[in-house]
This record gives sequence, structure tokens and C-alpha cells, in this order.
Amino acid sequence: MERTIIKTKNLERVYTTGAVKTYALRDISIEIKEGEFVAIMGKSGSGKSTLLHQLGLLDKPTKGSITIGGNDVINISEKERTRFRLNELGYVFQSYNLIPELTAIENVYITAMARDLKREEYERLAEEMLAAVGLEDRMHHYPSELSGGQQQRVSIARALVNKPKILFADEPTANLDSASSEDVINLFRKFNKEIGQTIVMVTHEKDEGEKADRIIWVKDGLLDMEKLKSI
Amino acid sequence: MESNDLKVMFYLAYKNLTKSKITFMVIVAVMAMSFLSITFFASIIDGLGYEFEEGMIKGQTGHLMIEPHEDELYITDSGDLVKDIRRIPGVVGVARRLDASAVARYETIEIGNPVLFIEPENEKDVSDYWRSVIAGEYLSKKDTNEMLMGANLVKSYAAEGDTQKRFDVDVGDKVTLSFSNGFVKEYRIKGIYKTGSRFVDDKMMINFDQYQLIFNFTDDIASNILVSLPQRGVEDSYAEKIIDLGVSKQINRWQTKMGAVNQFVGSLQITNQITGTIGLLTAFATIYIIIFINVTNKRKQIGILKAVGIKKQIILGSYVIQSLAYGITGVIIGNIIMKLLLFLLSVHPLSMPIGPVVPILTMERLVTTSFILIFASIVAGFFPSRKAADENILDAIFGG
Ligand SMILES: Nc1ncnc2c1ncn2[C@@H]1O[C@H](COP(=O)(O)OP(=O)(O)OP(=O)(O)O)[C@@H](O)[C@H]1O
Ligand SMILES: [Mg+2]
Repeated sequence: MERTIIKTKNLERVYTTGAVKTYALRDISIEIKEGEFVAIMGKSGSGKSTLLHQLGLLDKPTKGSITIGGNDVINISEKERTRFRLNELGYVFQSYNLIPELTAIENVYITAMARDLKREEYERLAEEMLAAVGLEDRMHHYPSELSGGQQQRVSIARALVNKPKILFADEPTANLDSASSEDVINLFRKFNKEIGQTIVMVTHEKDEGEKADRIIWVKDGLLDMEKLKSI
Repeated sequence: MESNDLKVMFYLAYKNLTKSKITFMVIVAVMAMSFLSITFFASIIDGLGYEFEEGMIKGQTGHLMIEPHEDELYITDSGDLVKDIRRIPGVVGVARRLDASAVARYETIEIGNPVLFIEPENEKDVSDYWRSVIAGEYLSKKDTNEMLMGANLVKSYAAEGDTQKRFDVDVGDKVTLSFSNGFVKEYRIKGIYKTGSRFVDDKMMINFDQYQLIFNFTDDIASNILVSLPQRGVEDSYAEKIIDLGVSKQINRWQTKMGAVNQFVGSLQITNQITGTIGLLTAFATIYIIIFINVTNKRKQIGILKAVGIKKQIILGSYVIQSLAYGITGVIIGNIIMKLLLFLLSVHPLSMPIGPVVPILTMERLVTTSFILIFASIVAGFFPSRKAADENILDAIFGG
């Protein structure tokens, strides 16, 4: 009864630098169900980030297909991919990547604003999101006035303000101390439980991976079959 | 492009501009200084050229100079002609002059020099000599044994180290003039004048009536008649009105009488155009570079905005708006400072060897400079931000 939200077939991503070809992804076919909290794990350089970028429409595979909610997201125009990112996807990066010129609440609502919501509406949504990540008293601070953990929580609020189908996170805790890291993972868990948020998260931390519903192991641009079987 | 896109575009531009106040001020300051460096220098050169021309108009030619035909020596019935011209509405002043030359002697020094016969009162309307008397007094109609002497003929007004032959005279001293017909008479120096123009500060001036006495004329003659008009630029229409009076003399506009001065001012203007163009190019390059650096620093921001789903055109537009804001603010501030400078310098003109120079900023120069600087800022904002907006998202964010 669970519906598939992401499906990839034979994904390949080759980087060509001069005559050298680097196979970041060789052949990856996966399925992720709606409402799942999935962790992508593997050694450094195994292709985790590359995979996440393909799924999040931040990059294009050199071969293979990706469908999200049944829609082909590869063979569409750049304009449609942009609209897809705005309406259907959310991102949390390792280094927060907030816009330094915008306050916390502005960082959160800028994408809602771009979706042509009324001012009262996007302000209300952003306030709710910031409250949900525990930052109601930091809404009008600039990123430079927030701690790393607070910035990461702002970026989670930003990623979720448009109620995306999928939340992507690439090592969201790598820059944080253990308390803040736990906050972030607990928030993910909470949103996954409470609103059924689909989450795809790259992590290095075994215990974080274990908090997810499932781990996708990657090795040298392929699925790590041994580890996958052993689960 | 939807109206909401414009809203986001302006919002992002506004936030970027107001958050980076220092950047804003620095870029605006550079724009304003570029504006000033181009317009200020040019306006001084223009002012200088104007002053040269004005010196000629006020000293030599008037706005219109009526002269006898080439085969005639004098304008006859000049008194009636003056009366007729004076009746033309708008004419500011009309004055007759006669030219001669004489050998002037004071003590042991003799100098052959032009002598100008003027009508002191009428002359006030067409030239500035009466205002330029720096010692003694201006001539009056009754003065028969008095003369005005140009400062260039007087030793005490010569520049240091100048070796030209000059009279060591002062107001009250008597100089003997010998004319070509053998007439000799002593004139007392009533005043010494100095306009600042090399071309006219070397004359001796005597009352108009003296000419008849010296040369034994009874006719109402003049060498030329100067006409002063309300302003420059209306010479042709007044020349026509004078022709309509039935005057068959040569009516010359001041421009045609300028000769060397005309060439000199023309050269100044060409120099001005060249330096102005170079100035504009330099300003263009400077503005391009600073805005380019600014946008290049925002590469990551552009990548993030694209990643979260903001349209490329919105991002690009917001940077063009920012550049436009730099350009327009810079030009406005430049304009304000320039206006202030022009005002200050019109109250306290720059004192230069040719006289006080008031900078002149033509509307044309103001508009072109403003336009080109604003255009430069748009171009400088557009190309680097388009490059950044076209870039691969991951490269922009992670600095690939
Ligand atoms: N832009 C690029 N150009 C060339 N090679 C690249 C590029 N990006 C990634 N790679 C290569 O692709 C492979 C996979 O990289 P990726 O960033 O996906 O690894 P990762 O699993 O996320 O590693 P880490 O845990 O260190 O983040 C690596 O060998 C990397 O060097
Ligand atoms: Mg990675």
C-alpha cells in the first residue's frame, strides 16, 4: 500500500576532467517509498553526495532515469526542474548555506514568497516552521548572529516551508557538536513521524543511520550488496 | 515574467543593497567620483574656452561688429547708423570706434602702438574696459588730454623677469603720441586698465572726438561699430534686422572675427572631447570591475537561490537592479556635488591668468555622462551575474 515516491534505474554519473573519467555513480537502481526516512551511507568518495544531488535535481546523471511521484524529472526543461525544486523538494546542506543578507525568517519565507503566496501567509508559515524547530525567539537574527546548530535548524525550516514531497540532507550534522546533531536528527524523526515527511539523508554516523527506517549502502558508485544483504 | 517574480526580484535586490551598506557606499562613491572627474575637468576647460571668447567679445568684437566694405576705409554717417541700430528692440548697446596707431614716447622709451578712439559712455555697453580700470579712472566724454593705458604697456604690471619694452609710468604721467600724419600731442594717463586678456591689454585709448582733431576729418566716420546683444546665439537674427535697416556694410558675428582665438578654443574643445572619452572609458572599466567583483563574491548566494528553486531570471534581475541602484545613486550624488561645486565656483571663480574662470557644464555633457555611467553599471551587473546564474548549481555553491 506504500507508494513509491523516488525510483531510479541504472543511474550513472561520470565526471570527465580532460582525459580522465571519474565514475562517481556507476549503476544505481533504488526505490524510496512515500513517508520513508532513508539514510545513505558509505565510505568517503563512494558517491553518496553525487547520488543525493541526482535525486534532488541539483545535477543530471549521465545515464539512467529518475522518476519522482511518477514523473520523469530528467527529460524536462531546466525551467521545469527549477519549479520542481521550488514546489516539491527541500534541501539541508552540511554547511547550512543560508543567505547571509536575509534574516532567519526571510531565509525561510523567500521560497514561499517565490510561490506567490500572500505576505500574511508566507510570514505565518515561516513563523510556524521556525517555532517547530525551536527558533521562535531568533526569527529576526541574521545567520551571522546564530550558532551553527541554530543555522542548521533555520535551514531545516527553510527546506520544509513549502511542504515538499521530499527532504534531502547531505551530512546535516557534520559541522555540529553532538547535542546540536541530536537536535537535528530528532527534528527529522519528528517531521517524519508527525507529518509523514519523506527524508533522504546522507550521513557518516552509524547511530544516525540507525535512527532512519532504512540504510542505502553505497560503495564505489554502486549499491553495496554485501552490507545491504546483511541487514 | 510574472508580477510576483518582479516582487521577489526587487525584494532580493533591496535586501542585498541594505545589508551590504559599506559595499553600497563604496561603489556609489566610486560612481560619483567617476562622474565628477569626467564632468568637472571638462567643465573647467569649457569655462576656460568660454572665458577666452567672452574676453574677445567684451574687448574686441562685441556680439556683432559692423565694418566698412573692403574697398572703403571708414563707415560714413556712423552717428545716424548708431541711432538706428539702437532703436532695434533688444539691442543692449552700440558704440563706435576708430583705429589708428602712433609712436608713444615717455622719457627715453618709444613704442609704436595701436590707439583706440572710443566713445566712453557708449563703450560701457559693449565692452568691459570701464570695469577693468585698476589704477586711476575711466575716460569721460569731456577728457581731451587724457588717455587710458593697457597694463601690458606699463612696467609695474609686468610679470617678473619680463624683458619686453614698457613704460615706467603711473597714473598722472604724460606720454607723447606722434601720429602718422605728423600730429604730436601729449596725453596724461588718466587710468590703467587690465582685462586679463593678452590680446586687448596693450592699447592706448583716447576720446573719439580726438580723431577728428588729429586727422582733420569733418565727416561722421568710424572704423567699426560694435553691437552688444542680450546673449550669445542670437547674432544672426539681429544681423538680419540690421540689414533690414538698409545697411550695406559688412556685419560680422563675433565668431568670424575670432581668428586665432577661435582656433585655440576649438583645440581646447577637441582636447576636452579626447580626455572626456578617455575618462568615460576609465570610469566604465572601474565601475565594471568593482561591480564584477561584487557579483563574483555573490556566486555562492546565486547557487543557493537556484538550488532552492528561485528562477534564474529573478536572480539575474535582482543583480541588474542592484547595479542600477549603484549607478543611479552614484550619478545623482555626482550631480549634486557637481551642482554644488559649480555654484561655489560661480560665486568664487577660479582665478586664472586670463581672468576669472567659471566652470561650464553643458546639458549635453551632463546627460551623456550620466547615461553612460548608468549604462556601464547595468552592463557590469548583467554579464557577471548572468554568468553566475548560468553556472552549474553545485559549482556555484561548492566552488567547483
Ligand atoms: N565535480 C567533480 N568532478 C570530478 N570528480 C568528482 C566531482 N564531484 C565528485 N567527484 C568524484 O566522485 C566521487 C564521488 O564523490 P562524492 O562527493 O559523491 O562522494 P561522497 O560519498 O559524498 O564522499 P564524502 O563522504 O567525502 O562526502 C569521488 O571520487 C569524487 O572525487
Ligand atoms: Mg559527500
